[in-house]
Amino acid sequence: MDFAVETYDLTKSYGDFNALDKLNIKIELGQIRVLLGPNGSGKTTFLHLISTVLRPTKGTARVLGFDIVKQQLEVRKHVSIAFQDPRGFWRHKPKHILSFHASMYGIKDPERSSIVERTLKEFDLWESRDKKFMDLSGGQAKRLEVAKLFVHIPKLTLLDEPTAMVDLDGKRLMWDKIKELKEKGCTVIVATNEVREAEYLADKITIFSSGKDIVTDTLPNLKDSVKGGDVVDMRFSDPISPITLQTLKRLPGTVGIIEVDENRLRIPVTRSEDWLPLAVSSIHGNRLASVHITEPSLDDIFMTIVKPKAETK
Amino acid sequence: MNYLRISTLLKFDLRESFNSALWIGYSWIYFAFQLFVYGSIISRLIVTVNNYFYFYGTGLIVLSTFNIASWSGRRFVESAHEGRLRYMLSLPIGRREFFVEQLLHGVTVNLVRTFPPVAIVLYLSKLFSVSSFLSTLLVLTLVAIGVMGLMISLSVIAFKSFDIYSAIVAALSALLIRFSTINYPISSMNSIYAGASLSNPLTYGADLLRRAIGLDSSLLVNQDAALSMLLALSVGTLFLGIFFISRFVEGVKSS
Repeated sequence: MDFAVETYDLTKSYGDFNALDKLNIKIELGQIRVLLGPNGSGKTTFLHLISTVLRPTKGTARVLGFDIVKQQLEVRKHVSIAFQDPRGFWRHKPKHILSFHASMYGIKDPERSSIVERTLKEFDLWESRDKKFMDLSGGQAKRLEVAKLFVHIPKLTLLDEPTAMVDLDGKRLMWDKIKELKEKGCTVIVATNEVREAEYLADKITIFSSGKDIVTDTLPNLKDSVKGGDVVDMRFSDPISPITLQTLKRLPGTVGIIEVDENRLRIPVTRSEDWLPLAVSSIHGNRLASVHITEPSLDDIFMTIVKPKAETK
Repeated sequence: MNYLRISTLLKFDLRESFNSALWIGYSWIYFAFQLFVYGSIISRLIVTVNNYFYFYGTGLIVLSTFNIASWSGRRFVESAHEGRLRYMLSLPIGRREFFVEQLLHGVTVNLVRTFPPVAIVLYLSKLFSVSSFLSTLLVLTLVAIGVMGLMISLSVIAFKSFDIYSAIVAALSALLIRFSTINYPISSMNSIYAGASLSNPLTYGADLLRRAIGLDSSLLVNQDAALSMLLALSVGTLFLGIFFISRFVEGVKSS
């Protein structure tokens, strides 16, 4: 088995609306896959389907080799999910919630108590262990939701916007903990619409739009796929000659040239790592003083690649 | 059936339900107030029924059971809308086991909340015995399972529209309580009301409870019919609930 998740025309409909539309996706074992997309793009529905919280309308999926329709209980034994907005535990205390979660996965005392204590401390919740859930802050509730996954290490972990409502320190803590899951051999799927989170965590990124997966690749490949996505700022020691300008214009990968002033150029290029050595070796009439490269962000990728594709589908 | 997981989930749910002792105490005080103030006054007005005070008291216990069981069904619906249900559905427990746990939770809450009222009525009526006490609890358990199974089955409607569910449950509750022998014996009804009451499981629950306590049997429906009806209700709604939950609960969208 090479894949933690394989879907076959996975579809979830509510009346005429397809929250997920014939999704065919494969997620490798032991990786962190980040699902990126706007609200309503189908990320959460996908997580709910592969955790068997929802039942597909059509199609199916295999999770860790188990069919999500025919072998639901087996799936649930190995998969754990941290939901987007943890609610409904009102009077329960964090220590009881984690202890209960551990019990449901067969962890017995005294091991359970020590795991719960360690997890509460790791997620900076030890001081709040006896507070009622309804008295926790949004960030604490979110940390508790993710902490549940650490009382037992599931083979597949699903996190739905794990750092929404969490402050900056908390975000970094959560991201490091998520990476720790991978180091422990767990496959992790994170749904988010936060680009920085995707950049920090992802081995591969799948971008969702309107219930479909639009593109899946590594972050460097996604960035490279943006035509003119890299922006090279070149500053010269002397005024730029017409020959230098013509040479740079003719280089493969040059998308356009903007003359900022007589010594500076801004050049959108494709794959700056290939373009720059060529440029440096081709310039003869001018002396290069400095170069600054700006890579495209995931926002740029979404706007330039994904949106046109989504509109044509 | 994985009994360990059922008991773990049950313990977790009960911890929350009994976390607020105030509400349990309030329900006991409400019962005492209703029985000793309203019950004692109304029993002076009703002279056609011997010992109407105890007749009313047992009816009040069945009414409490009905309300608690309805609350359990509503709690299930609310857990779906609050997002708690989806967490439960993600845990390694089968849907049937989950439904059974919900029933056990409702039955336990019901027994704890009706335990003092039952003891009070039995003590005051001087009919207390171990067998009457156990029979009473058994009847209340059957009523609770039946009503809860019905309410949880109806929750399928709430997954589509909470407003329609609320309206149906309110109308059903009003009809079931009024067209039953909870507050008045079948002999005091005209033929139309009696006919409606005889098709109502609450009638059989209330009258079987009165038989278990030892009240005047001339006012009550047939004991065997009552027991059969209650068993049919409990078993029927149990399977109905399991069917609906395993078929529809996974399509629920939380708000």
